[in-house]
Amino acid sequence: MSGTSMTTRAWLLMLPLLAVMIAVIGWPLIDTIHLSFTDAKLVGTAGNFVGIDNYVKTITGSNFQRTLVTTAKFAIISVFAEMVLGVLAALLLNQEFRGRTMLRGLMILPWALPTVVNATLWRLIYNPEYGALNAALTQIGLLDAYRSWLGEPGTALASLIIADCWKNFPLVALIALAALQAVPRDIQAASLVDGAGPFARFRFVTLPYLAGPLMVALVLRTIEAFKVFDIIWVMTRGGPANSTRTLSILVYQEAFSFQRAGSGASLALIVTLLVAVLAAAYAALVRKTAGSNT
Amino acid sequence: MSALEIQNVRKTYGAVETLKGIDISLESGEFLVLLGSSGCGKSTLLNIIAGLAEASGGDVRIGGRSVLGVHPKDRDIAMVFQSYALYPNLSVHRNIGFGLEMRKVPTAEREKAVQETAKLLQIEALLDRKPSQLSGGQRQRVAIGRALVRKPQVFLFDEPLSNLDAKLRMETRTELKRLHQMLGTTIVYVTHDQIEAMTLATRIAVMRNGRIEQLGTPEEVYNRPATLYVAGFVGSPPMNVLSAVVGDDGLRLDGSGQVIALPGHLKGVVAAGRCVKIGVRPEALRLAAEPGGQPALQVEVEVVELTGPELVVTGRVGGQRVTACLPPRTWLEAGVALSFTFDEDAMHLFDAETEQALR
Repeated sequence: MSGTSMTTRAWLLMLPLLAVMIAVIGWPLIDTIHLSFTDAKLVGTAGNFVGIDNYVKTITGSNFQRTLVTTAKFAIISVFAEMVLGVLAALLLNQEFRGRTMLRGLMILPWALPTVVNATLWRLIYNPEYGALNAALTQIGLLDAYRSWLGEPGTALASLIIADCWKNFPLVALIALAALQAVPRDIQAASLVDGAGPFARFRFVTLPYLAGPLMVALVLRTIEAFKVFDIIWVMTRGGPANSTRTLSILVYQEAFSFQRAGSGASLALIVTLLVAVLAAAYAALVRKTAGSNT
Repeated sequence: MSALEIQNVRKTYGAVETLKGIDISLESGEFLVLLGSSGCGKSTLLNIIAGLAEASGGDVRIGGRSVLGVHPKDRDIAMVFQSYALYPNLSVHRNIGFGLEMRKVPTAEREKAVQETAKLLQIEALLDRKPSQLSGGQRQRVAIGRALVRKPQVFLFDEPLSNLDAKLRMETRTELKRLHQMLGTTIVYVTHDQIEAMTLATRIAVMRNGRIEQLGTPEEVYNRPATLYVAGFVGSPPMNVLSAVVGDDGLRLDGSGQVIALPGHLKGVVAAGRCVKIGVRPEALRLAAEPGGQPALQVEVEVVELTGPELVVTGRVGGQRVTACLPPRTWLEAGVALSFTFDEDAMHLFDAETEQALR
């Protein structure tokens, strides 16, 4: 079969998928871009063309800036904590001890649970009247009276970050554990004979094998954390006093709660652009990792 | 005082006993090769000496001091691994100096030691490279350098040449021999390659199933194998082994009924009626010019292979296989019947049951 007819056939075979992709991604995206240049409401008229007005208002508005800071705080702290916890858990689960296999299986559980289940579970734990956290802290004397962890602006974001960490550190731990098992035994033995202590062994033997996979996990988790919606929506809906409002929640509120489709679309596109930058970093990283293995 | 003493060392994994009481005493400057096939326990023994595995019983003494329970770094040993085991993100320079760096040796002293070692191994030009930028042979030199730089009492080598191609393996082998002769270091070297063992060792310990079959100089192991296993393991092609029964007139070969005269040095060692194994090295066989007083074998030639330096002839004596290594210019073809002779003292006898040498 000639090259040309092969190419034609390949395109023909891909056509159905391409058509579906255009229908569910391409067209809505173009429509969103169009919408973002109008003052359209969610229901009613198509709206008038307003140029880059929506973008200017969004970027210069205090709402967006505050939310961006909240999102960045959430993403940076939770991802950092997940990386540290994940690596520590992986190092622990890489040791030989009884029940290791069972523990490895159990560890995946929080990550495998649907986010809604996870979020509901943590709402119960944080409950100001009968929550387990309040009970535990008062019983051991660290707390005088029950608190509304999710109801106070000072503690809501931190409480959400803890819940998110609990859900997502197993993924990092799994990736790190797989990487740890790739560390050659001979190099570990050589470092023992060379007299390297635990920190030097981690730095010179383990980390070189851990760094690549961890970077991939870091970027993936950062993208996810930047887009976070479900866990926050179930636990606080962005409150109290917008203290846990992230970009995705803001987009939702703008488009659906306030029914401003035009500015909601511009906001969604800005978030998409931010995530695209992170995705590009991920792609570059994967290429670099693949390159260094050849 | 011995540089290394291994006293009744045992190792068990659950119900499996991988080392069944090993005793070796090594003088300073000796090159001991632990030789054996996979699973014989040689690497386990090396790991026990290094402190990477715990002995289940017995004692290991380095420089007269028991090192049981002593951390590998405090045993005054250095180890070279089959996979080189270089630190991937450190330069060759830091790889070589790593052990000294961890021991907090002052920078100037460390630098001097690294430079000297690099010069010795002719890898000065590679010092700034990362392991990934080196060839297999270069990596192994760096790994050897990392061991040499520390000047320990005992060097341990775990199949260090196995990952190299044939030509490089030979070159590195010669290099190792040169280093040993020059530095006079004490070395324990694990390999399954009997050529490496023969060429490098001052003493060889042939191991099998967690035991030492024979401990001796390469000459002893080759010329006076203590067991049938050693006779078959050392030498390439392996020693010919023929089943026979001792008769009044000599050794009667199973299958063919041929009788070989019992050499003088073996008379009185075996009584008539005893089942034995006759061992003759392929290189000891030669074509019989004329019937004479020497022992002879009537062989039907099956295959003739010219390897270059020699002609390897494979044939049968009755139902038993015989291989002979002849000079390359010998003219022979498959299918002929020939008479091979050998010197009386080239014949080895083993008990058919215990497989121990009869002397």
